[in-house]
Amino acid sequence: MLDIEDKSLKQGVLGLVIALVEIIRDALRLQALRRVEGGSLTEAEVERLGRALMDLETTIEEIKQEQGIAETVRSVREGMDNVVDDILKLTASPLEWVRRGEEGQERCTTLSK
Amino acid sequence: MHDVVQIGPSSSQRRPLTGLAGRYVYCVADAGVQASLGNVGLEHSEVYTIPWQDICAVVHNCPPQPYLSGDRDAVQAWVMTHQRTVEAAWATWGTVLPLAFDTIIVAAAGGGADQQVADWLSREYGSLKARIQRVKGAAEYGVQVFWDTASAAREVTLSSLDAGKLRAQASSASPGMAYMYRLQLEHLLRNAMEAKGAELSRGLYDRIRAHAAEVRVEKAKQAEPGLRMVLSLSCLVHPDRYAQLGQELDKIGREQGLRVRFTGPWPPYSFVRDC
Repeated sequence: MLDIEDKSLKQGVLGLVIALVEIIRDALRLQALRRVEGGSLTEAEVERLGRALMDLETTIEEIKQEQGIAETVRSVREGMDNVVDDILKLTASPLEWVRRGEEGQERCTTLSK
Repeated sequence: MHDVVQIGPSSSQRRPLTGLAGRYVYCVADAGVQASLGNVGLEHSEVYTIPWQDICAVVHNCPPQPYLSGDRDAVQAWVMTHQRTVEAAWATWGTVLPLAFDTIIVAAAGGGADQQVADWLSREYGSLKARIQRVKGAAEYGVQVFWDTASAAREVTLSSLDAGKLRAQASSASPGMAYMYRLQLEHLLRNAMEAKGAELSRGLYDRIRAHAAEVRVEKAKQAEPGLRMVLSLSCLVHPDRYAQLGQELDKIGREQGLRVRFTGPWPPYSFVRDC
């Protein structure tokens, strides 16, 4: 029998871990770019740096595919920004609740081409 | 630190009008009347007014502590009820100053809760009246402008000279170096898009500001994939500028890569506090 709770807990934890790895990867990339632009690295060093980042990227993608957590990771990263925002802003302004939930309701007029 | 009382939306008991030391205040209305809106408040409480001169507070009686719950649906239901009650007051009395969810005035020693509310109105009368005059007849509208990221990237790529050079270098380099060139390219494009986005939103802000009595800049949130929110505004608009605002937004919506979301009218939630 498939234990749904165990599976989604595992997915959630993995998703969180990989989201954090991605954030670290982004920081590493920025660092690497700065060093490369700084001009203090030799061509061989730049090549090694590039390869390492490339391999990291590939590994992350493989894990996401194999574990089926690409969507989980995406939503964890999106959610991280919004969590505190939500709690503070929504109880202070009822208007935000209504604005959030108003897709397709009569009050909303979308002007677009 | 006060005691926390868990209240859920399923409890539909009617609260007795006497014996409750708190007054949950929904808004201040521009009318010096004593009236009841019926049992439209949180937990089906009766909503009524406490007047002071030519204004009144729209309240219901409650225990002297905030409405708190760990259940997100319960809180959402309360917040929606709060919103609907403010709108009912708006429809009834024309001009209201909405208060935030969970604003409760508590009876102090030596006076009942109703008196406490009247005293508060009397103390704040000057600034409340001033605010009422500023929002009188106006409504709040939300304006959000989105930028189609594909069209944004296209616009930015064309004008970036370094990008061309990097692409050329990337195609001839060894894998690791090519990857670094690619990262540089993405970095450049991201920065250029940020700059273009900022410039765009400044221009849009000026155009929209011209038609509103007051404007508040809201934090730009994540949009759906493929779209980037460049501007989010709360606008206080009087009826005589509404048509022009609509026309300006229409114009903006027809511009390359832009989409507009225009919501409202709302009671002036964002314009109650002096900035």
